[in-house]
Parts: sequence; C-alpha cells; structure tokens
Amino acid sequence: MSHQPLRIGLIGAGGISLNHLPHLIALGAEVFVFSEQGAPELVAEFGGTAVDTLDELLDLVDVVDVVTPTFTHFDVVSKALAAGKDVISEKPLTRTPAEARELLARAAAAGRQLYPAHVVRWFPEYVQLKKAVDSGALGELAVLRFSRSGAFPTRTPWFADRSLSGGIIMDQMIHDLDIARWVAGDVVTVSAVSNRTGDVGAPIEAAHVLLTHASGAISHVAGLWGPEHIAFTTEYSVSGTGGTLEHSSAAQRNVLMDLAASTVGGEAVPDTDPAEDPYFLELRDFVRAFADGSTPRVSAADGAAAVAIAAAALESLETGQPVDLTAKGW
Amino acid sequence: MSVPTSNCPLRVAVMSFAHTHAQSYVQLLRATPDVEVLTSDPGPHPDGELRGAAFAAQLGVDYVDSYDELLAWRPDAVIVTSENARHRELVELAAAAGADILCEKPLATSAEDGRAIRDAVAAAGVRLMVAFPVRFASTFATLKATYDAGQLGQLVAVRGSNNGKLPRERSWFTDPALSGGGALVDHVVHIADLLDALMGAKPVSVTAVANSTLHADRARAETAGLVTITYDNGVIAAIDCSWSRPDTAPTWGGVRIVVAGTAGTAEVDFFGPRVTGLVAATGAPVELPYGPDFDEEMLRTFLRAVRAGEQPQPDVAVGLRTLGIVLAAQESARTGRTVTVGS
Repeated sequence: MSHQPLRIGLIGAGGISLNHLPHLIALGAEVFVFSEQGAPELVAEFGGTAVDTLDELLDLVDVVDVVTPTFTHFDVVSKALAAGKDVISEKPLTRTPAEARELLARAAAAGRQLYPAHVVRWFPEYVQLKKAVDSGALGELAVLRFSRSGAFPTRTPWFADRSLSGGIIMDQMIHDLDIARWVAGDVVTVSAVSNRTGDVGAPIEAAHVLLTHASGAISHVAGLWGPEHIAFTTEYSVSGTGGTLEHSSAAQRNVLMDLAASTVGGEAVPDTDPAEDPYFLELRDFVRAFADGSTPRVSAADGAAAVAIAAAALESLETGQPVDLTAKGW
Repeated sequence: MSVPTSNCPLRVAVMSFAHTHAQSYVQLLRATPDVEVLTSDPGPHPDGELRGAAFAAQLGVDYVDSYDELLAWRPDAVIVTSENARHRELVELAAAAGADILCEKPLATSAEDGRAIRDAVAAAGVRLMVAFPVRFASTFATLKATYDAGQLGQLVAVRGSNNGKLPRERSWFTDPALSGGGALVDHVVHIADLLDALMGAKPVSVTAVANSTLHADRARAETAGLVTITYDNGVIAAIDCSWSRPDTAPTWGGVRIVVAGTAGTAEVDFFGPRVTGLVAATGAPVELPYGPDFDEEMLRTFLRAVRAGEQPQPDVAVGLRTLGIVLAAQESARTGRTVTVGS
C-alpha cells in the first residue's frame, strides 16, 4: 500500500544525507526528513519536507532510509521495521555482530526488506572487478589488496570514538572488507593492526587488516584517516591464476586541473561521475527492490557479514592475535 | 662506474653465480677503473643453467675453479652471490680471508646462520654490507629528506608492495632448502630495509598470511604473501611480497611504498617510470622502464667504504633485523599466530 509517488522517510541529516537526499528526490520520491538536528537546513538546500518526530515520519512514509550515526542504527532500524517499513540503512548495518543478527531476525519476522548501503558495490571500478572475477578472467584468486585514504572525519565527534563508530575499521574500511568478501568469498580468519595518533583537533588513524578467505585467497585491506588536506583516494590490486587487475583512483582521474585556488583534498566521499553517480544507482536499485521484489546486489546478510569481519578485526586489535571468524557464530 | 681511486687497484672477488645479480655486479665492476675482478662458481650446477667457467667466459671476466684459489688471490673485498642458504659458509670463508664483504640479500635463512655471520665478521674484524640496492635510489633519498625535514610529520602507517615474477632463471629460488622459503624470504626484506633506513625503528610483531595458488605446479613454498608489522615507534606497515606478476608481463615487477604521516603522505614507485605503448600487429603492451641502476650506487658505496676502511650501510645489524621480520613472517604464516620479532 505504497503511495504514488513513493514516500521515503530520511532519518538523519549528517554528512552522508547530502549523498542520499538529492538522489531520493531525483528518483521521483516524496521525501520527509527527520533528524535531531539539521533537517530544516537540509530540505532548504535539496528539497523534501522536514518533520518534527520519528513517529510522525513513520506515519507518513512507505519506506525508510536511515543515515544516522552508526551506534543508533540498531534502534532506529528496529523502530522502522516495527512500524512495518522496508529499510535502507547506511553502513555499517550495526555497531556489533549481535545487533546485526537481531536486525536480520526482526526484518524476517516482520516480512520487511532491509538493505545496508555498501555503496562501493556500485562504484564502476569495483563493478568491473566483480564482473571480471565472476567471468573467470582472473582464474583462481590468490592475493588481493585494497586501500582507502581520506581525511579524518572531524565534522562530528562520534567518528573519533571507537566505542560509538568502531573507528576506521568499522566505519571506513568496512567498504573494502565488504568488497573483498564480495569478490573473493567468505572470510575465515582476520587479523588487524592499527595506529591512532595526532591530537584531539587533528586526529589520525590508520589500520591494516589481513583476511584469509575460505577459498584460500588472501586479502590486505588498508585504511587511512589522515590530515584534513589529503585527497580521498582508493586503490586495489587483485591477482589470480588467470591474470591481474588493478585500479588507482588518483591515476584514473579524467579531469585534471592545476589552478591557483585549489579545491582538491579533504573530501568526505570519493570523486564520482554525476552521470552515473554510485549513490544514485544504489538507491535506485533499493527502491526498485522495494517496488518489485527484485534482488539488489547487497543483502542484509552481506551487511551483517561485513560487520562480523570488522568486529573480528577490532577483536584482533584487542588480543594482538588473528581471529578465527568461523568459530564466532556471527 | 667511477669510484675514488688510490695507487693500487682494489681486488674484488665474486663468490658464486647462483644469484642472477652476480651478472649485474660483474658488469659494473668490470666498468670500474682501478678494480680487478676474479670470480669462482664451483659446481655441481643444475642442468640447463649457464654457470661456472662458461658463465664467466660469457661475461668476459677472469675465473678460477675453486674458492681456495679465489681467496688465495688475497681479495680486498668479496661479493657473495650464492644461494641464500649458502651465504653463511661463504661469508665465513671470506671473513677468514680478511676480506670485506657485500652479501646478497637476505643475510641468511635462519637466525642461527645470521648470528654466525655476525660473529664471523666481528671475529675477523672485517666489514659486511647487505646488498639492498633500493635504498640507494635517489627517489628514496628524496623521501628520506622529506621525512627528516618534518614535512611528513610523525609517521603513522606504510603500505609496501614488492611484486615480481616467479624467479625462473635459477631453479634454487623455488627450492626452499636453498632459498629459505618462497615469496616471503625473497621479497619482504627490500621494503623492511627501506623502513629501517627511513625511520630506524625496531620491529616488534609480525603477522603474515600466505598461499601457493599462483604457479601451483612449481610452488614448493608460498608464492603469495601479505605481512603486517608493528614497530616500536607505533608505525604499522603492510608488505605484499607476492610473486604475482604473470610470467607473460612485459616487465619484471616493482617496488612501491606509500608512507602516511600526521602531516601528509608520500608515495614512491621505485621502478615505476616507463614509456608505454602498443604493438600494432598484436595489441600487446610495450613497456620501456627507465631510470638509474640502483646497483651502481650501492656498489660505489661499498667500494668507497672498502677503500676508506669504513663501515658501509646497510650493515649486518640491518641484515639481522630484516631477517628477523622474515623469520617471524614465516612462523606466523605457518602457525596462524602473530609473532614477536626475535632479537
């Protein structure tokens, strides 16, 4: 009993809402926004209607897009499911594996669809990798490397609190942990090292995660939240018995400018081509899935698996030893 | 190659042609004024490999049949380019003969051999340098100057990759009894040496994963490996040491590091610069790498130190620290545990 046009409730008005709201509107949806702060300013810039309470929002809409801080995902998504809504949740699906498992159970019990926004699966360079691997062009995968570097997100304080955000591993590196699993299959062991330094005003965090996949393939995922001026860049290098593929976002920029007033650096998200914006493609697939039951390229179970890998990496940081993910029951 | 000269020529002996770098060193030495070169590569040799007197003849370098004859020539310096597992016996011979030594990397294949090399060199009062050419790249000097000037701030994390083809010119590279293992022992040490030279920190713990999926038909040890290292200054490093460059690739591979500090990042692709193109008939890629030969600056540094009677870097201590990382990585890959680096 969806409205025409579809009514979508956007919950949260922080950084990533800027990459969701315009696309939801572009999809023809009528968007209502609830946020503890920033909703009026957000709709003033992009459109949509701000509402005052979560209950009011849930009464108005057909589906919900949750872009709140990580540590609130479980409660907000639970409320939306309980109200009978299909749900999109920003990644990570939840802060902990137990919460993720519980959300999957609640979605199943409510008969609702739940999709975590692992948007990198819609970035064209990763789509090419996935297609090449699935086609068999790389043969049996042996060794994979992924890297993601950007400025430390200091626009809001919860990112810097590992108990709330899970730090760089759960927030940023979960993108490539998900891609590694998407491309090379289930993960059986996880180890991690990290380094957090800098000062309160200018924190720096980096981590390396090593994965062993059930296939025997091995992956390295590197993450950097660096100083505020650095450009958002990604890389991968994948080798199999049939060949290799690699990509560097810095090497593949197809607009290069050298201007007196530089605007490069400090981006919160990677550079994208607006003609095939990955956030738009992702949200379009989710909205289509809500309408016709089609299967988008990421499931709630995928989101839970990514949370489990990231949680195992965090456990490895604590224990100083690799973690056997298969023994976790996550 | 020019090196400061003195009245008498420097006698440099090359022990073994097992390592393919022997060819590069001999060619550079022969082009160096006031350096006399004598070589020896006693057999038996594997079938089908050009070794011994025949290889010396091809290089156009003087040759004797035994190490006894070679050392009886009283060389000032010896370059050890044997199989990795034979470094110890040749270093012990060279040290006992009173020669300074340039030893191919890795220093050894076991902690016991590494300590024996250190002790033999110390007992003989000779100097040993480990052949890590990449730190002699001018691009590394640029990176180090940038770091030393504080422009990177405090170092935080490093990503390194040293990927190449599975070595095929010499069969011992894939015989663990002679090479000491697979990709881990072959390719971890170069980046470990660069980090040693860059920041002088001590490695604390090592975690490694490995497999032998690539070249499974030839693999008697790991052909792919990923290693993470923590250092006592807090820096975390990751190294991909895999032999993941396909046999059919137009060039051998490379060494690349990305260094992140509190004030910014720096990336050096040591063998990166190249002219690229396509063959019209097949569409095959053309890659023409260019840039200086790092071996030349490394040899120049070694010979200068021998003449001056000074200890060159990287010394035996660097060799032992980088070997310690390799041995810890091998143990980690074998046991699935994170391993503390031995002293």
